Amino acid sequence: MIKKVIKYAAAIIIVVFIASNSIYFKKLSDVKASAAKQFDAAKYARNYLKTQLIPFAGTAPQAGELLTLLKTKPANAFKTYAHGLDIGNIRFFMVQSQGVVTSVDENDVYVLTKDKQTIKIALEYVFGNALRDAPGLININDFTNTMDLNNIAAEVDKIVRNEVLPPFKSAVKKGDTISFAGAFELNQEHINLDKIEVIPVTLKIDQ
Amino acid sequence: MTKYLKILLLVMLVFVSCQNRSGSAKQKKMAIIVSTLNNPWFVFLAQTAAAQAKSLGYESKIFDSQNNTALETDHFENAIASGYSAILFNPTDANGSVVNVQKAKKAGVPVFCMDREVNSPDATSQILSDSYSGCVSLAKYFVQTLHKKGNYVELLGIVADNNTWARSKGFHSLVDYYPGLKMVAQQSADFDRNKGLEVMESILQAHPDIDAVFAGNDAMAMGAFQALVAAGKAGHVKVFGFDGAEDAIQAIKDKKISATAMQFPKVMAQTAANYADAYFKGKRDFPKKIPVAVELVTYDNINDYIAYGKK
Repeated sequence: MIKKVIKYAAAIIIVVFIASNSIYFKKLSDVKASAAKQFDAAKYARNYLKTQLIPFAGTAPQAGELLTLLKTKPANAFKTYAHGLDIGNIRFFMVQSQGVVTSVDENDVYVLTKDKQTIKIALEYVFGNALRDAPGLININDFTNTMDLNNIAAEVDKIVRNEVLPPFKSAVKKGDTISFAGAFELNQEHINLDKIEVIPVTLKIDQ
Repeated sequence: MTKYLKILLLVMLVFVSCQNRSGSAKQKKMAIIVSTLNNPWFVFLAQTAAAQAKSLGYESKIFDSQNNTALETDHFENAIASGYSAILFNPTDANGSVVNVQKAKKAGVPVFCMDREVNSPDATSQILSDSYSGCVSLAKYFVQTLHKKGNYVELLGIVADNNTWARSKGFHSLVDYYPGLKMVAQQSADFDRNKGLEVMESILQAHPDIDAVFAGNDAMAMGAFQALVAAGKAGHVKVFGFDGAEDAIQAIKDKKISATAMQFPKVMAQTAANYADAYFKGKRDFPKKIPVAVELVTYDNINDYIAYGKK
């Protein structure tokens, strides 16, 4: 009889032990807190755009000045103004200017600046890393997950596509004077200034 | 007298053993473990790493994992047991290779990943192509070439490899904004040319009316092109690859495929070997991940490039 009791007691202890180790409980507040720690690229992008990118754009070189430097002393231009998170040939420049719209098509607006430089500004393909990388303000070592960096670029571009482009696209026409700031990509090994397309961060019709 | 002789012998023994130790420090070796040598791109990666190690004064040996994580584990065990001081590593599987990196870390051997990523912070540094951004550039050209409309097929690489998804996500981050572009099939062909051919042949049976193929590497793109030639559709269907492999560069010149994204295995391999050298000299603060820029190659700029980004 005693043996049976011991047997059952042992069996119950084993079952309880296995069951208690098979499931575990966590506080809902802890789970929510851990989920909240996941990187919020949209929030980061909006804050970056407002507190870093737009203020930096106001200090960017004038388009005419930068293009002249790129033509005459390209190495100097890259050293002084270009940035990029990747190693390799692709580099990004911030630029600003004012000018008169010479034409508008479905993908771009073409502007003749005061110093007679023609600049192409993207109205359709606002994608890529230009706005993320050009100011050189983001440190790659702050991010262990490369997808976070990709998502920042995508979210910054999305804000521009959704909030900066629509009011401008619906109103701009040939002959308008506009102010703009933005970023463009250039390959430092194969420099092709004719292919420059500025990804805008600010676009304003002055008159 | 015997006592003095014993002491002298002991001193000499200590001296000789110290000399051996300092000698071994000079003869550090690098193991180069690559996912496969069945693809010329990885052969180039491995050989460049070996050449850079040699130019820095180190011995090295190339190990072929044959896309098999079990074999990769054997290579890690051999490399650690044989006294290799650093591993320049091209992983087979982002998750499956983690255990090998951990094993090396435990043994005090630094691991520098080249081109492919492992999902572990235990790698000393990972030097990786910026596949996502490269595919954003490729996607823009894809949309422009197709004038924002058409049916297309996507051939994915090895499903367990992070590059497969980085490329796919980069591509879709742009293409999916264009509702006129419809993906009629998405299938893996394991980064393999023959599988690219087979998969494309079978997709063409179900979807004969396509306008483009986006392949996650050039080997699959070339396989898909072969299938399109056999089906008499090569003239109409635009093919886009990724890598900058020799045959793809020639195919762009010949207007057979539309574009590729050029990776720079030379930059990745040399950076990995240089990092290992710096590690031996005491450096420890390596960036966990270093992206290497990828460049769009089309017929318009084909003369700026040769295979594998070689200069």
